Amino acid sequence: MAMRPFSLQKRCHFIMKASRFLLQIHHTGCISSTVIPGVNRLDTQLCYGHVPRWLHCSSAFCKSKSDSTDLQEIIEHEIEKKTKSLVTHDELFERAARDAKSKANFNRVLDTFNKKDIRRRGHVEFIYAALKKMPEFGVERDITVYNKLLDVFPKEVFVPRNFIQRMFNHYPRQQECGVQVLEQMENYGIMPNMETKVLLVQIFGEKSHPMRKYQRIMYWFPKFKNLNPFPVPHELPQDPVDLSRFSLTRIANDLDAKITVYQLPSTHITEAGEEISHPHIVGIQSPEQRTLLAKHNPSRPVFVEGPFPLWLRKTCVHYYLLRADPIPPEEQIEEELEPELIGPEQSLFYPQCIDLDLKRDLGDDDSFDVDDVVEGAVYAMCMTGQGDQATLAQWISGLQENNPILGQVPTVFRLDSGFRELQKVEDIHHDSEQNQHSGAEEEHIIEEEVLHSQGMKR
Amino acid sequence: MNLNRILALLKTAKLGRTLLSTRAGKELSFQHPHRCIQSSSRSLAYAKDLFLGKVNKNEVFPYPEISNEELEELKQFVAPVEKFFSEEVDSKKIDEEAKIPPETLDGLKALGLFGIQVPEEYGGLGLSNTMYARLGEITSLDGAIAVTLAAHQAIGLKGILMAGTEEQKAKYLPRLASGEHIAAFCLTEPGSGSDAASIQTRATLTEDGKHFLLNGSKIWISNGGMAEIMTVFARTEVLDKDGQKKDKITAFIVEKAFGGVTSGKPEDKLGIRGSNTCEVTFENTKVPIENVIGEVGGGFKIAMNILNSGRFSMGSACAGMIKKLIEMTAEYAGTRKQFTKKLADFGMIQEKFAIMAQNVFVMESMAYLTAGLMDRPGVPDCSVEAAMVKVFSSEGGWVCVSEALQVLGGIGYTKNYPFERYLRDCRILQIFEGTNEILRMYIALTGMQYAGKILTGKIKEMKKGNVGVVFEILGKKLKDSLGRTVDFGLTGKDGMVHPSLTESAKMLEQNVALFGSTVESLLYRYGKTIVDEQLVLKRVADTLINLYAMTAVLSRASRSISIGVRNHQHEVLLANTFCKDAYFKNNYWMIQLQKNSPENNDDNIKKIAQEVLENRAYICSHPLERTY
Repeated sequence: MAMRPFSLQKRCHFIMKASRFLLQIHHTGCISSTVIPGVNRLDTQLCYGHVPRWLHCSSAFCKSKSDSTDLQEIIEHEIEKKTKSLVTHDELFERAARDAKSKANFNRVLDTFNKKDIRRRGHVEFIYAALKKMPEFGVERDITVYNKLLDVFPKEVFVPRNFIQRMFNHYPRQQECGVQVLEQMENYGIMPNMETKVLLVQIFGEKSHPMRKYQRIMYWFPKFKNLNPFPVPHELPQDPVDLSRFSLTRIANDLDAKITVYQLPSTHITEAGEEISHPHIVGIQSPEQRTLLAKHNPSRPVFVEGPFPLWLRKTCVHYYLLRADPIPPEEQIEEELEPELIGPEQSLFYPQCIDLDLKRDLGDDDSFDVDDVVEGAVYAMCMTGQGDQATLAQWISGLQENNPILGQVPTVFRLDSGFRELQKVEDIHHDSEQNQHSGAEEEHIIEEEVLHSQGMKR
Repeated sequence: MNLNRILALLKTAKLGRTLLSTRAGKELSFQHPHRCIQSSSRSLAYAKDLFLGKVNKNEVFPYPEISNEELEELKQFVAPVEKFFSEEVDSKKIDEEAKIPPETLDGLKALGLFGIQVPEEYGGLGLSNTMYARLGEITSLDGAIAVTLAAHQAIGLKGILMAGTEEQKAKYLPRLASGEHIAAFCLTEPGSGSDAASIQTRATLTEDGKHFLLNGSKIWISNGGMAEIMTVFARTEVLDKDGQKKDKITAFIVEKAFGGVTSGKPEDKLGIRGSNTCEVTFENTKVPIENVIGEVGGGFKIAMNILNSGRFSMGSACAGMIKKLIEMTAEYAGTRKQFTKKLADFGMIQEKFAIMAQNVFVMESMAYLTAGLMDRPGVPDCSVEAAMVKVFSSEGGWVCVSEALQVLGGIGYTKNYPFERYLRDCRILQIFEGTNEILRMYIALTGMQYAGKILTGKIKEMKKGNVGVVFEILGKKLKDSLGRTVDFGLTGKDGMVHPSLTESAKMLEQNVALFGSTVESLLYRYGKTIVDEQLVLKRVADTLINLYAMTAVLSRASRSISIGVRNHQHEVLLANTFCKDAYFKNNYWMIQLQKNSPENNDDNIKKIAQEVLENRAYICSHPLERTY
């Protein structure tokens, strides 16, 4: 019954549009003394808890108890200091992180916090701190950890019990904190599960803001989950050849395109003791590209260009193109089909066109006005562990097997040095060795390359 | 009514006389096609005129007849052939061994079935298209034999018959007609099925200018393994008007004896297993220049004419097969008892027999009407009609066989009975000689082209906003909506249709009128881009097929009732039933063709197909899949 004056007071503040800060003072001041009896009284009528259980602990986490004693000591130490600022909770995690930033340690911190005070004093600050630390501990994608974090909230305390409470923002700071937990889950694409729902109901009640957030997530997430027609797996293939295979099929998006592995990665040790590593070369070409290449005018060069970046989640890979300049209009040959074969009343089976002076009616013309921008054809793509000219030349000679025309066409290498900035941090070491020739003066290089490539042809 | 009958009789008699004189004329036209005076003066356009909303009733009424002498002659041919097929052809064995035994082939040769349409002077039977269709009814009792014969004479030797020189005919036809040599038709290539433009087989002139060297390979060649004479289509270099070299298609008569002709292993097929289908490869085959059919570069028209003329007989062939099937199935349904009732007493079984009878009746009517039209003097272009017969009968045949199998239950599904063989044999009909899809396109586009030529001016005026034309059309529409009945004069005082079929004739008239305006609005809406609207064209073709079928049954039943053939009341019943059915179907299709029609689902259909084909798979998640 002690609750009532407090809630009335709270309402008044709300009506007066008092700031949250003011409310928080009330919370911190009154909560520990006023709330608990009320909830205790309610405990017997609760409809969620089928199993009798300890008040502040969800049924799920009752059993998991920390065996760490040193952490407990730390916390006791903290309490002694009686500091309640955010910094202390941060420290808690930092101390725990000293041995190893792992899920187990993170859970231990949560457990110790739960044990240290039956009233869970400062849990909101603690949860905020924990949310911030999650990526550091590598648990930001772990639904069980989120549930455990939600479990830090005391149960049933914040559940509104009458229509007035329900109507207004009951325990806004706690609710907001709960929403934040869900928000972070959302940002990492973690779908809440049944346990999350049970926890939220126990903590905030059926129609609370976190519950609404949960419902919204549950509405949208399943819909978004499979929306990407080109899904990238969370775990990318480790093998560079497999990764290239995946990336190239992704770019090409052509079911007819065929992947060819021109060279598997390998390392040799020569007699002189030198280590020679052969990078992988994986290429893709579709039959359509092959026919286009076969029609290429041999007097015009084809270009090997790259590297171009392709992002797969947080990894960046690079690919190279074999392409040509757009065909100038004067050289374009219209492929004429014999009118006899396609014309009306003559076609062998049915006419491909009919001879009428009537256009499509405007009302039935659903086509868009599209400006076609002429671009040079891309004849093939490849990915390699080493983006130097020698390696790419190897790719071109591999392509030549199926595209004999490449023997007559001058191949120009136009390679950028943009490789470095775009690669993942770990890869940079490899790179500095690999990508020797940077395109400092492109023109010069092209000229050189033309000579080189022509010399290269047998 | 009496007057009508007399009138019809008079007309048939007149027609009979013309037909009688026709045969002589036709044989003449085979020899000197360009000398035939009537060829240019008369162009038959019943189906095409339907696109304009016109009923050219004089073309199709009364139903074509053959003379009594011809009928007698025909009966003389039919009896021994029927006897041969029932007694000496072992279809089961042919199917199992995938080969027609030589004795059977010899029997067929002795009956003259290898030269049914070859003129008598070249040793053939010299029969008309109508009579050929009648014999086709019997030969179709065995699918493999029917296909072998058709590949031989409907397409294989047709080129020589239609466009060959006197020397070529004298040299090749006698031995082909006797069956000593078997012919094949080599058009399809690995890279060119329906797309004749991509024929790769090439014929190059030798230096002495007396021979062509033929190189390339052809696939799915019926009789390919046993043919001595082949009609081969190949690319040749031709100088066109501007003096530029161009590739054109030329038809050649190639003897296996020329050398360099190899045939591959016979294909192991689903049905018509006894017929021989294989790949034929030509390697530097030396073909003398005299063996070019028609002129160099003119092979294209020849191929088209051969294909167009070969299709009509499928209607009667199908009908022959289903008639036999009905007999066998009905016997089963009449004897087998279930729940103390005969199968024949169950409504759903009865329905199946009605469907079969109706289909046979329509097929027959269409086939013999078309054959009759083709037998008329001149060189009538019946390609659209022939294509319609092929589409209708191949699909109707499939439905009938399937229904028959349903009646038979398990018996139909086992190899101990011939029914499953019928089903397998029948499936090819929808595929060869131009698939039904392609023929639908042909039917619809040919008509659209014809109607478009005539309507272009009017539509252009309308688009320009010519008030006069617009009012004329609005007025016409208003009149139609006020319930003005369409009258093409099929019924009534001068009508050609028997009064007992008046209602059906009215339905046909209404359909035709609506069809005309539908075509007009389609042309208005799509213009020449209608070529790309395949789903629209499919409905146009289907409607036209039904219209032609209605015409055929009305014409046939009117004749039957007028001259009082046996069971004519059954024909009237069938005709009325079919017309009613077709009328509603046509109306539905034509409503779908209206703009923004809620019945039309084409956009969705295209979208579904597109999504499936993009992924080349069925893309829905499994129903048991969960997202959380």
